[in-house]
Amino acid sequence: MTAPQHVLQARALGFEYRPAQPVLRGVDFTAAAGRFTCILGRNGSGKTTLLRCLLGWLRPGAGTILLDGKDIARHSRKALARLLAYVPQFPASTFAFPVRELVLMGRFAHAGALGLAGEQDLAVARLAMEMTHTEEFADRTLDELSGGEAQCVMIARALAQQPSVLLLDEPTSHLDIANQLKIYRMMQRLAHDWEMAVVCVSHDVNLAARFADELVLMRDGEVVASGPPGDVVREDLLARAYDVRVELIARPGDEPPMIWAH
Amino acid sequence: MSDPASDNLRGTLSAKKLVLTGAVLLLATVAVLGACSLVGVISLGDLTPLVWKTRLVRLTVAGVVGAALATAGMALQGLLRNPLAEPYILGISSGAGVGVLFGLAMADWWGALPKWLSGPTLALAGAAVTCGAVYGIAQRRGRLDPYVLLLSGVIVNAFNGAVMLSIYLFVKPYVVSGFMVWAMGNLTDNVSAGMLLTAGACVLAGWAVLLARGAAFNTLGLGDEVAATSGVPVHWLRVETFLVVSLMTAAAVTLAGPVGFVGLIVPHVCRLVVGPDHRRLAVVSALVGAMFLMIADTLCRVVGELLNAGDLPVGVLTALCGGPFFIALLRGRLKEHRR
Repeated sequence: MTAPQHVLQARALGFEYRPAQPVLRGVDFTAAAGRFTCILGRNGSGKTTLLRCLLGWLRPGAGTILLDGKDIARHSRKALARLLAYVPQFPASTFAFPVRELVLMGRFAHAGALGLAGEQDLAVARLAMEMTHTEEFADRTLDELSGGEAQCVMIARALAQQPSVLLLDEPTSHLDIANQLKIYRMMQRLAHDWEMAVVCVSHDVNLAARFADELVLMRDGEVVASGPPGDVVREDLLARAYDVRVELIARPGDEPPMIWAH
Repeated sequence: MSDPASDNLRGTLSAKKLVLTGAVLLLATVAVLGACSLVGVISLGDLTPLVWKTRLVRLTVAGVVGAALATAGMALQGLLRNPLAEPYILGISSGAGVGVLFGLAMADWWGALPKWLSGPTLALAGAAVTCGAVYGIAQRRGRLDPYVLLLSGVIVNAFNGAVMLSIYLFVKPYVVSGFMVWAMGNLTDNVSAGMLLTAGACVLAGWAVLLARGAAFNTLGLGDEVAATSGVPVHWLRVETFLVVSLMTAAAVTLAGPVGFVGLIVPHVCRLVVGPDHRRLAVVSALVGAMFLMIADTLCRVVGELLNAGDLPVGVLTALCGGPFFIALLRGRLKEHRR
């Protein structure tokens, strides 16, 4: 049995926060099920704005965003939440909920009138916590966890939505290298084993080139290059996107080259 | 067969626990109602059915007002992610007060008003307008700074106070004297059954809506973006909550005037005891709020009887307790920020 192939597609996307200052200029973007896509680019290149448009949080001024062929603006909030989930850059909860309740909040769009968890909801939450290795902190609050553990909880919460598309905003920006690796491996596994379309905005070109199936390189609201890492990780393209001289240092065997900025 | 992972999810809120909590607290509330109705300077032997019935009505009013204010405070704290939010501090109560006073003044100026334009309707209008004003001042592109929100509440409160004083200047003194006591937050014996029923129905309906939004308030604590992508209609939730809070506050203010700080103290203490889940908090805050105001009013009545000073307005007592409580909360938050 094969799962239906979910696709998130943006066509000729345009967006401006202030008139005549476009942040996105005709961006085309595709994220397919089973693929791990990283969006790269300098600060202010429009990565996060693109992500917010894909989430349905910002309404693009031009172009369309289709999820399985249907415009996301035409989905209700709840219907969209069953297809698409989001992991923020900084995990935080104003209210001191234990981790199990935080993960169960991911069931909001599935649960009944009071949002109380049924057997099905508990089973899904359990699976999400197993996947992210967060079962052991079930009774603790976010404040009592390390940054890496807290980020895993936020991923578990997103997985509890049972989305076909998972969007992450620089999830490793404040994590140590061990946790960075852990999160990137997790994102790769979610794409390959859980058949999700995983989209991650990233600042780490090396990790992105190593784990992602697709890279999207942005500059000034436009896509400079996109495709598999082999096609995008080129000295000229990276130099154009980041405005620095870039050198690729070969690694032994099949490993992708290391990217070194001068 | 025992599944070790399932233990991690034990303790999750269920409908059974919610109903059980509600039932136990409801019994406690009825017990408090009964006990308070028997307390007084008159000895039990001399307590006539008429006095007892009068006390019961007044306590029921206290219960409805307490439940309304505590639930409204709980919802505002959840919606605004701010433990200092409550109808009195944000000026919503004084907005309802302006509405009621305006109704009295108009009756004084032009004789009897049409029935639909009576005190309660004007209270609701005043509360809703104030809600909109405070939110409009404090928000920028849909984002709220918690301190700007409190400040705009303070300003709107001062403005509403000035409006009330201006109205005082233009009405006959006897209209004002009754209003002065009411404006402190005062429960009286003479509330008509129709008024009590209408206000009670409004409070019950509002409470049901806010209980149903509990899960959304919980999720909102994760930030607007996460809440929205989890399926919470964030903007609509704000509008709806402000409307419901206005309705409940207007009902409370119509019955008892602007009683302060109940919406601050009760949800806060409840949160410390039963945790942050807004569904449980809706049930617990409402009933604890009812008990709190019944006890506070009984205290005021008995002290008034003992001192032979007539009734002390219950709002004076809640403000005397609530002021220091608010300052303690604010200091605690500032300390947290500096860390």
